[in-house]
Amino acid sequence: MMIKAENITVCYRMANDKIQSIKEYLVALLKRKLKYDEFRALQDVSFEIEKGEVIGIVGSNGAGKSTLLKVISGILRPTTGSVTLEGNVVPMLELGSGFDFDLSGRENIFLNGAILGYSEKFLKEKYDEIVEFSELGEFIDIPVRNYSSGMIMRLAFSIASQVVPDILIVDEILAVGDAAFQEKSYARMMELMSHGTTVLLVSHNIDQVRRLCDRVIWLDHGKVVAIGETEELCDAYMKTQQR
Amino acid sequence: MKNKAIRICLVAMALYLILGVAFYFIAGDSLHATANSIETVTAKASLGEFTAGEKIRQSFVCEFDELTSISLLVGTNARENNDMILVEILDENGQAVIEPIRMATAKLKDNTAYTVVFPTPITEARGQRFVLQLTSRYGAPKNAICFYYGNSVDTGRFDFNTQIDEADALCVYEGDKFVPFKDTEGNICQLCLSLNGTDNHWFGKYYWFLYAGGALLLLLGLAYQYLCFQKGKKTLILSVALSIQKYSFLIRQLVSRDFKSKYKRSVLGMLWSFLNPLLTMSIQYVVFSTIFKSTIPNFIIYLLTGIICFNFFSEATSMCLVSIIGNASLINKVYVPKYIYPFSRTISSGINLLLSLVPLLIMLLITRTPITPAILLLPFALLMLFFLSYGVGLLLATMMVFFRDTQFLWNIFSMLLMYMTPIFYPDTIIPDRFMSIYKLNPLYHVIRFMRSILIDGVSLEPKAYLYCAVLCLIPFLIGLVVFRKNEDKFVLNI
Repeated sequence: MMIKAENITVCYRMANDKIQSIKEYLVALLKRKLKYDEFRALQDVSFEIEKGEVIGIVGSNGAGKSTLLKVISGILRPTTGSVTLEGNVVPMLELGSGFDFDLSGRENIFLNGAILGYSEKFLKEKYDEIVEFSELGEFIDIPVRNYSSGMIMRLAFSIASQVVPDILIVDEILAVGDAAFQEKSYARMMELMSHGTTVLLVSHNIDQVRRLCDRVIWLDHGKVVAIGETEELCDAYMKTQQR
Repeated sequence: MKNKAIRICLVAMALYLILGVAFYFIAGDSLHATANSIETVTAKASLGEFTAGEKIRQSFVCEFDELTSISLLVGTNARENNDMILVEILDENGQAVIEPIRMATAKLKDNTAYTVVFPTPITEARGQRFVLQLTSRYGAPKNAICFYYGNSVDTGRFDFNTQIDEADALCVYEGDKFVPFKDTEGNICQLCLSLNGTDNHWFGKYYWFLYAGGALLLLLGLAYQYLCFQKGKKTLILSVALSIQKYSFLIRQLVSRDFKSKYKRSVLGMLWSFLNPLLTMSIQYVVFSTIFKSTIPNFIIYLLTGIICFNFFSEATSMCLVSIIGNASLINKVYVPKYIYPFSRTISSGINLLLSLVPLLIMLLITRTPITPAILLLPFALLMLFFLSYGVGLLLATMMVFFRDTQFLWNIFSMLLMYMTPIFYPDTIIPDRFMSIYKLNPLYHVIRFMRSILIDGVSLEPKAYLYCAVLCLIPFLIGLVVFRKNEDKFVLNI
């Protein structure tokens, strides 16, 4: 068993106004208007994923897909329930979020790599490979604030895709950059998935899900609608979407 | 991994053993006893020539464990006087406590304090009332010294008239009895005198027992941690040690990022870490030494120590304050233990602090302040300051996530704290009745500690270590607990 999720529930407490200062808090407290609306982003979600499976997660906007990925990567702790994982997790949730725009590309490789949990030795070994893959060449020594958005995505993808993780968590990042780089990054993704890696993939591209995934988890309004075979569930899901 | 754990245990043990012995010798006598001195009054006028047959008595209550000497302010009328003064210390019943001391007046200097050292210190003197009796043997007009009296206390900028108790009055021998001396305005006065003594500390006496006890505790603790480690059980210390190892690379990267982005695009770069405390010190030095006429000895070092400490505290806490909300994008996307963010910020401020010790050292050399081995105790003060700042930083970072007003409140509060810390003024100007509140400020203790080892070159009394450690570690623990309790809610609120 690679991933075991048991009765995950995530509740957000939404105050009727977003209270962000002590004054507002005290005023609300005095007026007894401090009510909270509970919003359940995930409700009682349970599943088990075996080693090497590629799982697609589908659902309309606000179904709780990203919340589920955050819970599994450990970013968000579920209100109740638990997740057990075996092995290292690499979340590719939003590329380049750890970049410091005042630092050069080279410095950012080390900073971002450290944030992703790579060791110093590993990064030094892979440094040339990262630079080569990102196709940045001499731009690697100028501050990232001068990069184009495509360059930033290329660098971020090159860093994130260096390690072959036990569990890979992907949120719609299968293709970045221009057509040539999209092809290259797609190939890299395939390579990462082919090493017996367990993959959790969120995608709105149903064709992609059909092509890549062994099984599918279908979420709607925070609840699991169904877990099952790709073709079957994709068909059913598409039907609800077309209506 | 197993070998490494054993190595760490051995290193910890060896460090304790070495540091414990080193500490005993560096801290030296101040572990056993600290010298103290109390002055009575500021000189106002002379008692006139002290001639044969005259006697004066000054009663006082000793505030030390041991009384070792007294210093008398004498005037010679700028000539050599061949008199012999008999110095006696009597107890309340008029019995001599020490052998009478003969004080030859020939070599005395005009208007200076002459110290009379007792052949043996008076022990168990605390709280006891003694009488100092001075008698002239051969004094004659034009061949006699004089003593000074007064009825006010100098506190730096003002003289305060003190209410002198009847019992503490200076008495002169008239006829056949001692009567209180009155000045021209009819006030009771005191002899200008300072009492020198020592306070004993039990800590020094039992140091080696405590040392052995500590070693035993450490050994047991390490053995317990090691067993837990082998069984794979998680203890607090173990998980801290493991995560420090695991995230040391990340911390290094975050610290170097702080530094690079702080000094990026500035011409002088790192040099600012040296210049900043020096320039602040120069301004305050000019302001306080010329406008406010500060009388603090070695004022340059006094100021610089305070400025460096407070700058670190204020920089570290305000950087920690925004460390969580400032890294919101990261916290939302990647799992990293959240205490890493304030920790790396405190470390970067800490490196800044170490850099600013360089100008401090240079100023020590320029002002010719003697540097003693006591300077090796500096890491203790710095470590405590680090814990304090990190703890307060954790607390502020947590509050900031839920209430954005924290940053404005903290600006005001840290200004208040600055004035409540003796950075540019001596702590003696604080009235006694506020002192107990004033002493709750951990920065006061840290700065006092640093000044003692830098300016006086001696360690403070053992109690000072305790105050320093307790007052710094309590905020640290509070910060840690509050942070750990709330860190799971951060993602939902940033």
